[in-house]
Amino acid sequence: MAQHGGPQQRIFSPLRTAVQRFAFILLIVSTFGLMLLGKADTVLIERIRGASTDLVSPIMNLASRPAATINDISAYIENLANLYEENLRLREENHQLLAWQQVARNLEHENARLRSIHSFAEPPAIHIISARVIADMGGAYAHSMMISAGSREGVKKGQAVFADEGLVGRVINAGYQASRILLITDINSRVPVLIENSRDRAFLSGDNSDRPVLNFLTADASVSPGDRVLTSGHGGAFPPGIPVGVVSSVSETSVRVTPLYRRHQLEYLRVADYGLDGILADPDRAIPQPPAADAAPNPVPGGLGVRPLDLGDLNNIVTPVPVVPDLSLVPEPAQAPATPPSGQTP
Amino acid sequence: MVPAFSVFVLLLISLVPVGLPMVSTVTPALTLMSVFYWSINRPDLLTALAAFIIGLVQDLLTGLPLGVSSLVLLIVQTLSANQGRFFQNKSFAVLWWAFALVALAALLVQWLFTSALIGALLPFKPLVTSYILTAALFPLIAWVLTRVQNGLLQHV
Repeated sequence: MAQHGGPQQRIFSPLRTAVQRFAFILLIVSTFGLMLLGKADTVLIERIRGASTDLVSPIMNLASRPAATINDISAYIENLANLYEENLRLREENHQLLAWQQVARNLEHENARLRSIHSFAEPPAIHIISARVIADMGGAYAHSMMISAGSREGVKKGQAVFADEGLVGRVINAGYQASRILLITDINSRVPVLIENSRDRAFLSGDNSDRPVLNFLTADASVSPGDRVLTSGHGGAFPPGIPVGVVSSVSETSVRVTPLYRRHQLEYLRVADYGLDGILADPDRAIPQPPAADAAPNPVPGGLGVRPLDLGDLNNIVTPVPVVPDLSLVPEPAQAPATPPSGQTP
Repeated sequence: MVPAFSVFVLLLISLVPVGLPMVSTVTPALTLMSVFYWSINRPDLLTALAAFIIGLVQDLLTGLPLGVSSLVLLIVQTLSANQGRFFQNKSFAVLWWAFALVALAALLVQWLFTSALIGALLPFKPLVTSYILTAALFPLIAWVLTRVQNGLLQHV
């Protein structure tokens, strides 16, 4: 081995050190080259990222299954511990929800009537793709996840991703059988939102903390802790009316929002194919495809959180409704977020 | 190949979604630990090129700016490979201390470069938590890797 010095060793050892040193410098230079290349954000890098996601997705798909079992066990123990409080809370919530359900039904009927009076242009139906979380790229620097659905299932870059509770993020990279999701808490995430009660518009910007910041609020906007924040649908990137979070703190400098989902409990996510290519569409892609006919069998109202159990004859209405409808909106239905995004100006 | 493969396995393990509130936002730098361990003990089996490639794969998978992890792992590999002889007859505590220092420097460099490339200062708190986790879990990973290394020696 290398420890035994010989005549060969004496000649080759300095040579080898020189080669190693050269290789080290070469590699350091190439890391900086990579940084520049990544900064330029070429299509190539995106392809490679997509391909690497695809490559590890079968492994992650298997590896995340035992983890899911552990999740179930820890959730079970957590549930046992909080059974009593949880039950009380749910009872109370159930009371409130029943009341809201009635309000929602009334509004559905009223909306249907009003729409038949006005010639209302219906926004496209949402086509939902469900997928399992197979990797969580946690860490101090990136807030993203990997899901087990890709372009094979119809996932495209820029589509909105949500859990039962509300918006989680958007697709940032779609491989063939797996895609990467940028969470709304990531520093690169910007979501056009509006405050549910005041209808003030803003941008929700992540900063890699648990609670993203509301930006570009107007000076006269009225925001207070506890206000719900919904997607506004501006720019066509996200469907309108998806719950995003609750305002948790308001200070002189910043308004922070707590997302509705709990990151460690995310297991299944849904990707919304809204039929709009949005602001994130690749410029080199051909004409945006209209929602295909096969998108029709699975229409879901835009207000995804609360869905009345018995839709009855209202099943054919696929237009988004506000999740928790505000009674003050009833006299002016045109103000609802259901109007097509392009028609609104701040 | 075994050391590089073990680092890759640890990288995948760090990506597995875990249903614990803390761990989902902050993960220990498993690749950093294993690259450090192998470079100290078997620098001939985990070369600078391997460290570079592992860093690249990590950046591609986690969506971090390209090149940062490569740079950090490359520096850690070269530094520890050159200092490996120093640790040969020292106790594990010395190695642990050395790792704590290296990890601190490595995570700071990573934070600095990532912030610069993203164009905004990233929050500091997750970094601190991640560092503490990384330093605390090192003995465990080192133990596992020692097993791997012993198994490797039996076959050679």
